[in-house]
Amino acid sequence: MTGRTVLPLIAMLVVGGMYLAVNSRLAKTGQRVLILQDEIAELQRRNAELTATLASLTTPDLMWERALELGFHPASTEEVEYIIIENYIPPEIFVAPLPPSSGKNHRSGLSPAYTETLGDWLSRWLGLGSA
Amino acid sequence: MVEQLPRQRVRILLMIMVIVALAMVVQLIRVQFGPYAPVFASWVEAASDTEDEVEPTRGLIYDRDGDLLATNVPLYYLEVETYQLNPVSIKQIAGVLSRALILPYEDLYAQLKRDWKSQGQFRFRLTREITGGERWPITIDQMAADMLRSFLLDADAPDLSGLKTVPAPKREYPAGTLAGHVLGFVNQEGQGFFGVEGYYDDWLAGKPITIDRGYIPLEARFEPDPPAGVNLVLTIDLDIQQMVEEILAESIESSGAEEGEIIVMDPRNGEILALAIYPTLDPNHYEPWLEERGYETEDLESEEEELVINPAVGGQFEPGSTFKVITMASALDAGVVTPEDEFIDEGQIEVGGIRIRNWDGGAWGPQTMQGCMAHSLNVCLAYVASEKLGASFFYDYLDAFGIGSVTGVDVAGEVSGQLRTPRHPEWTEADLGTNAFGQGVSVTPIQLLAAVGAIANDGIMVQPHVVRAVVGSEGPYWPKPTVLGRPISRDAADELTAMLTESLQEETSLASVEGYDLAGKTGTAQIPAEHGYDPRWTIASFVGWGPLPEEEFIVLVRIDRPEISPWGSVVAAPIFRQVVERLVVMLEIPPNDVREDLVQSDESG
Repeated sequence: MTGRTVLPLIAMLVVGGMYLAVNSRLAKTGQRVLILQDEIAELQRRNAELTATLASLTTPDLMWERALELGFHPASTEEVEYIIIENYIPPEIFVAPLPPSSGKNHRSGLSPAYTETLGDWLSRWLGLGSA
Repeated sequence: MVEQLPRQRVRILLMIMVIVALAMVVQLIRVQFGPYAPVFASWVEAASDTEDEVEPTRGLIYDRDGDLLATNVPLYYLEVETYQLNPVSIKQIAGVLSRALILPYEDLYAQLKRDWKSQGQFRFRLTREITGGERWPITIDQMAADMLRSFLLDADAPDLSGLKTVPAPKREYPAGTLAGHVLGFVNQEGQGFFGVEGYYDDWLAGKPITIDRGYIPLEARFEPDPPAGVNLVLTIDLDIQQMVEEILAESIESSGAEEGEIIVMDPRNGEILALAIYPTLDPNHYEPWLEERGYETEDLESEEEELVINPAVGGQFEPGSTFKVITMASALDAGVVTPEDEFIDEGQIEVGGIRIRNWDGGAWGPQTMQGCMAHSLNVCLAYVASEKLGASFFYDYLDAFGIGSVTGVDVAGEVSGQLRTPRHPEWTEADLGTNAFGQGVSVTPIQLLAAVGAIANDGIMVQPHVVRAVVGSEGPYWPKPTVLGRPISRDAADELTAMLTESLQEETSLASVEGYDLAGKTGTAQIPAEHGYDPRWTIASFVGWGPLPEEEFIVLVRIDRPEISPWGSVVAAPIFRQVVERLVVMLEIPPNDVREDLVQSDESG
């Protein structure tokens, strides 16, 4: 085996090794993306759970009971005093939040840097494809 | 020696490469044919079937002030990967789950021990037995799921190898029974029934989409989200709703009644501020509620239209004397009577061959129209409808008031009530006489409220509704009030309101609230039975509005089968007063004298 035959083999192996390394990094990144997606979903679920818990802890029924326990009673018409407040600004009307998936800048995919194959790159480089 | 060294190095390099290559081949063989090969094969199969339908998040429901009424919380199914099970984990999974979820150990053990592999199943969902031998998947909440996951990560914890928690959304109603009838409920398949959930089901549910799911890391990408369902803001004020429900529950208990409803509406725009129904419905646990009433959960879809879940929109009743408001409004608008017109009440009148008598069977002698309403005289109202208005005018007015038609309220399950007009083959002139005082005609509470609301709103009838805003991906949409028509003129509405204000102060003092001018009418309706009317039970009702002259609310009270008294003036009128006493404080409506002072200071300022 001479240097002439071994050298191209080693060169090919180096290129192959680099390709494998890039692919393994890509796979790792992809796996990280999947994990992050799971984490996002999990956090959203926990957020929903906490919001529901908060809402159930502050229902008028419970607040009513707590107010009575603290010695309050419903105000009667005689107990209410009405005064004029200059430049009174009434409370803002409640507007519900937008539904969760209504972001306009929706990300439909990853950057091509992560997904472009060697073939894609060659096509782009040679001006063959639309990429 | 110098030539030998590179050759030796090349050999060593080649050997290392061969070893690495061999290791890769061994690993490939292990993955392909090893003990976990079927698991990987099932994953590959799942990944190859990449088309997956994704259900969007169901829209949330808020009250008018932003209190959360309906949301989605996670629950978890318990699934098992059979190839990860071992004899120890089978026992420990069964043991942990039976203790934590109070389920029979033997049942869980049998499911885990079953030979799923021979059936080609590598993953299965644990189930529990419910009544009738039916099996349903076991579901656990977030806390239980967290506990199981912590066991899976802890080497010292019980071995739960193979157990997986799979999330799924569950509809949750944090306020429990509060406004339960307004909301309706969502079944296990995610379909909304009754109330707002049923009426806006398509909007709340969103639109599922089909996506190519990326299970393989190399193909990982941000999946497109399906268009989520819209969020709804209701017109309901949860504080008023709570107050009204509390008063209703206490009143039902103290009167020994079976059922009841109280509806509070703003007659100017049709916004329903509170809609309370007793017995209450907890949408979180709708199945036992249905079973108590003899309904099957499976029948929901097929018989939704027949089931009366929300009696405020789906429960018909003969309104009795509250209906006299409609008759008198029609007569005043037609100009056939004035409040001062006199009528000699002889205690009975014959219309269409039947004798109509007063509620007390007595003759009240000379009465003005004002007196007829104040004393709720059936004879007088039958006279007004038959002798003054005539069938054609009378039924045209009823039609204009929406009697016999649905109001279009955005709560599922509404029915139109029943009204026989002269066009009906079975109509007789006697119907004209009885309809005049609310017999022989069926209405729903919401229908009566909308019709009488026209009188409280200067003759303009507005469609009742419970949704204030719809928030979609494009932002909020605020529906404008829908005017259903103008059945009577403003003058007629003002005249009748003045008549009923006077009669409320003089004859129905149990309904009056000090410091506020209110108008209203009691109702005591007999309940139709197989032959005639039920001799014992009545429906006591009251419909009233105020404060005059700028009406801001109309309240309808209906109490079914009260034991303490059959009369609306005794049972329903005090409930109206209780509601209004609290309502004026909550709506920050000052008494007459304060309002007059405010107007004067505003004019002078």
